Amino acid sequence: MAVEIFNPNPTIFAPVKSSKVSSKTDYLWLADPLEETRSDAEEADSEEPIDQDEIFGTFQLLFASPKLIPIDLIRSIADPEHPNTLEELRVVSAPQITITGNRVHVEFTPTVPHCGMSTLIGLSIRVRLLRALPNRFKIDITLKPGSHQSEMAVNKQLNDKERVAAALENPVLVQTLEQTLANASLRGQPAEE
Amino acid sequence: MASTSSTATDSVEQLVTTWMVSGRDEEVIAAVAGTLGVSEGRLLGVVKALGTYLTSEQDDLRTKGVDFLATVIARCPEKTLNRQSVKVLTAFFCDKLDDTETIVPALKGLASLPPICSDSDALVMINAVFAHVKMRALVQSVRFHVFTIIDGLIANHRETLKGMKKDFIVPYINLAEGEKDPRNLLVAFAIARVILIEFDPTDHIEALSNIVFCYFPITFRPPPNDPYGITADDLRNALRRCLNAHPGFGPIAVPIFLEKLAAGSPAIKRDTLQSMTECFPVYGPAFLRTSARKLWNAIKLEIFQPTDSLTEQVALATMQALVVTIHADDAQDEDVQGLARDACEECIGILREPEKSQAKPAIKVLCAFMATTPSVSRYTLAHAVPHLLKLYADPNEVPSRHPVLLLLSDLIAAARDSIKAESTPEPMSDSAPEPPLAPFKDEVLGALISGVATLATTRAALAGLTGLVSTPHLLSEAELGFVVLKVNDVLETCYNGDEERSDDTNAILKLLMTISATSPAHVRDQTLPLLLRSLPASAPPRDAVSARARYQHVLTALSTLSSPPPTLRDARGGSQSDPELPAAYLHALLAALKRALADKVDEGHADVAGYADSLVPALYGLCVRAALRGGPASDPRVVGVVGDIIGLVVQSLAPPRQQQFAAVLFPAFLTGNITALCSAEHVSADDRFLPFSAEATSSERNLLALFEAGLIPLHPSVTIDADINACTESILVQGLAHSDNDRQAEAVFRIVGSIVNKHVDELGSFLEHKQTVYWSEQIFESTSAPEWRRQAIRVWTWICKGLLVRNHTLALEFIHRLFDVFGDETIGTDAAKAFGDIAASDSVLTKRNSAVVKFLWAQKFANGILPRLMSGAKDDSSEYTLFSLTCDRALTVCLPVDSALQHANLIALTALIKAIPNAAYAHEMTQLMPLLMRALHIPDAQIRANVIETLLAAAAQHKSTHDVLAEHATGLVRQMLGYTKTKGASATTAITSTRIRISALRYLAVLPTVVRYDVLHPCKADVLRELGEALDDPKRSVRREAVDAREVWFKYTG
Repeated sequence: MAVEIFNPNPTIFAPVKSSKVSSKTDYLWLADPLEETRSDAEEADSEEPIDQDEIFGTFQLLFASPKLIPIDLIRSIADPEHPNTLEELRVVSAPQITITGNRVHVEFTPTVPHCGMSTLIGLSIRVRLLRALPNRFKIDITLKPGSHQSEMAVNKQLNDKERVAAALENPVLVQTLEQTLANASLRGQPAEE
Repeated sequence: MASTSSTATDSVEQLVTTWMVSGRDEEVIAAVAGTLGVSEGRLLGVVKALGTYLTSEQDDLRTKGVDFLATVIARCPEKTLNRQSVKVLTAFFCDKLDDTETIVPALKGLASLPPICSDSDALVMINAVFAHVKMRALVQSVRFHVFTIIDGLIANHRETLKGMKKDFIVPYINLAEGEKDPRNLLVAFAIARVILIEFDPTDHIEALSNIVFCYFPITFRPPPNDPYGITADDLRNALRRCLNAHPGFGPIAVPIFLEKLAAGSPAIKRDTLQSMTECFPVYGPAFLRTSARKLWNAIKLEIFQPTDSLTEQVALATMQALVVTIHADDAQDEDVQGLARDACEECIGILREPEKSQAKPAIKVLCAFMATTPSVSRYTLAHAVPHLLKLYADPNEVPSRHPVLLLLSDLIAAARDSIKAESTPEPMSDSAPEPPLAPFKDEVLGALISGVATLATTRAALAGLTGLVSTPHLLSEAELGFVVLKVNDVLETCYNGDEERSDDTNAILKLLMTISATSPAHVRDQTLPLLLRSLPASAPPRDAVSARARYQHVLTALSTLSSPPPTLRDARGGSQSDPELPAAYLHALLAALKRALADKVDEGHADVAGYADSLVPALYGLCVRAALRGGPASDPRVVGVVGDIIGLVVQSLAPPRQQQFAAVLFPAFLTGNITALCSAEHVSADDRFLPFSAEATSSERNLLALFEAGLIPLHPSVTIDADINACTESILVQGLAHSDNDRQAEAVFRIVGSIVNKHVDELGSFLEHKQTVYWSEQIFESTSAPEWRRQAIRVWTWICKGLLVRNHTLALEFIHRLFDVFGDETIGTDAAKAFGDIAASDSVLTKRNSAVVKFLWAQKFANGILPRLMSGAKDDSSEYTLFSLTCDRALTVCLPVDSALQHANLIALTALIKAIPNAAYAHEMTQLMPLLMRALHIPDAQIRANVIETLLAAAAQHKSTHDVLAEHATGLVRQMLGYTKTKGASATTAITSTRIRISALRYLAVLPTVVRYDVLHPCKADVLRELGEALDDPKRSVRREAVDAREVWFKYTG
């Protein structure tokens, strides 16, 4: 292959189990698929604020159905170098995401310190969040401290909105980004199901 | 005789002249060819008639003359030409090949001769073709004639051509070189395959490869409207059959394959790999061994750095073909040398780092080896398994134990599948072949058992164990028991631990199911008692969330392993202050019982009917007692699940047994004679239970659901009562008179619907009364209270349903009555919505419940009623006058009837099409679209959600509606955007629900896939902005849809 591969053989991790099956394990009555009492409950429920699990991953009882649906935004973004997701390579993980008020901070870890794809990974996370989070949020994306040889430069580039905007005007770059985001809506599920 | 023959000759001459002048082919040639069929010698007539044309000095006349003869020959039946005439014709046409003006028709004439000419003619023909035809000078359709001639000669005179040896092969290669037309190539490839296989081409392999390999790989893309319908796959397969026709191609092919593999696109890579798979067996082990290393390196690249998963699959298959071919000779040897050994060692080397990404393709390669030859398979296992076990045991490698076990389980599954694949085609001589994994059984089992006990490796070890137990003849009964024992321990820790481990428990249950499929005793004797022991004696307190979650998980496990848990033990005890807790626990127990029973019914177990004697009386007794004296079983939700269980059991009874059951059911509920229905331990004879009477408490009346559960599954042949009319009437009147919640009323409706469906012929007076008195007093007269009239509409709906599903003639009479109250302002909407309820499928009137259900009743109903509803809903005054004739009585009731009527029709329409299958209204979609868009404005959350869901289904299914959709797309987008907001800006969007928002967002996500970009381009910016607001929806499930919809719109470009 013409392009240099920065890490030809990265470590694959088993997908982390989603942190919890919503907060509804404490329901008293078993959800019975035949009973459609849930629809009323759903309406009456209070607001569900956006939290860390929504960005990285959780499951929720689907409206009027007993099936659990996955909800997440970034775990299934593909790595630009490998046929794996960012989750499988542990580039992103739930504890690396914090939400305080209207600020989202996502930290990610490149697989090797000289990874030249770091900016692309960071950019794909940013684009996904820009598209999927309400614009009241300010999004900060940084490398895990000490995980990259040019950490400062990459952080600066990722959080400079002029440079992000410029990058998104480059059609070739946008095409690459779309490829990494193509499966993001799979949300950790196998493609065939 | 002479005169007829001369007339025939004359007519032929006439026809020939006509043709020469006009060139009208069809009828002339058909006529001439027809005359040829009559008798011998006619051909002479044709030739005579053509006479001068065939040898004319004028070029175009000569061409035409020969063309005519060729066409006639092609058309006339084979038998009319005798040997002599074929010889003459062959000589003639071959002669004409020399002439540039006549070569085209002459080839056409020759093309039809090979099947009927003699061997010597064939020789003449082929030599003439080789001598005179210059392919480059001819157009493709003429070249097709040349190939057809050679193809025909090969088919009919193969031995003659074989005798020519190189005099045939060499000129043919010259002829075929440089061909480009796909249709000709298909023939050329077929010819080349025959030459390669049957004509000894060893000396000409190089030359033959020139006319075969230049086409590889095929990149042909068929033009639109291709008249011949040749696909790239046709060509690919034809070419592949040439490539693998001769082993001599090996040295030429392999470099080409390797080159294409390295440089090609994914499609070309796959083509190359597939061609290699087919060619390797032909090229043979001797040659492949010399280039094995190069091939392995190239194929390896496709496996370890695959472009996509499909290519990876194909590459694995190619590698298998390579290994099988190379090691075909030493299939039974103990020691393996050469490629497989090297590759295996290489993969095991990669496996030294089991946690890395390359380990996965490496194990795939090894698994693929398992399905090759026995010796390779043995060798692979003998090296890979100990290696993995050593890694697992290495204390330095503890973190990578999980991946090690995952890899091991892949290998176990591959070993299992390899014997399955082998043993199916040929019946084995010894009944139980030893599984390949047998030598390592103990070590592997030991590792997996130790892995399953450790939290981090549980899931991987379970996958491995599932592979082991599903391998036939591998584990002994004692070992299976040991596995069950160990897994039970893990299951227990799963339930006792605080952490959520539902994935692990699911995997464990799957493993136990696999084991119990072959030897059920272990699970029955070990797991089930364990699970039953771990159920709490009474319901845990309200704040003990984990204990509750635990019993729910245990019950799930029990019902999965399909053993009805002994639910009725002490659930009524427990003197807790909170009555909801024991009720919820009882509900959970009964729900588990219901799931287990439903599974048994689905699998067709016969013993479900046996529960009628023990379980059903106990359940009735439990509920009746609770209704009279209080207790957890009086909770309506518990009653509901008890009803489901009773329904399942009664469904499985035979009609005579059902009759016995009915004989105790009816007295119990109608006259309070409960001792026969309920078991004695729960009720005594002096208990007074009269749910239909006015004094009955609400919890007693809740048990009407149990009456319904026992009654609905009864077969039509079961007698209900001596006077069925009075009985039904009293159930209806008494049941509704005192009902104080919807459950009770619904039970009565369903009972009536079911009885009407099964006993309509006996219910003459009941239905008569309904049509006359009931309709006018309860529904049509607006004097009674609105809620009574609504309830009466529901009764009406269920009577209609009961009649309609059996296509009874009265059904439409009853249904059409509903139109009369469409204009009524209090119940018009309810009457309209009833159309949806009537057409919807339900759980009462089903085959399982022995209801009389006719095929496609909903479709028939919809076809009949849709036009009327559509015309009624249309905004058109002429329709209105026509319509008002049918409901003149309604006109007198309330005056602003036209808009109210339209409104009601629209509601009925949306309710109806939501309830019926898509196909039933697909053909009306063009006219329905405007109506549906109007229906969106109806301020009712349920209707709106129904409409959007209908639109969604229509957009996904019917390509024909896409044009209509494009017309309305912009408007629809704006409307849907309005519905996605939680706080509506205008009055029409103010009504909202989670369901509306979700379906509106889904619809927005579907639109870009069905509407052309230029139509919606103006909306794109607005949609993206407004979906940004939907991203902040308070509900998580709505936000999820918003994210997906927005993603679709971001990618929506021209």
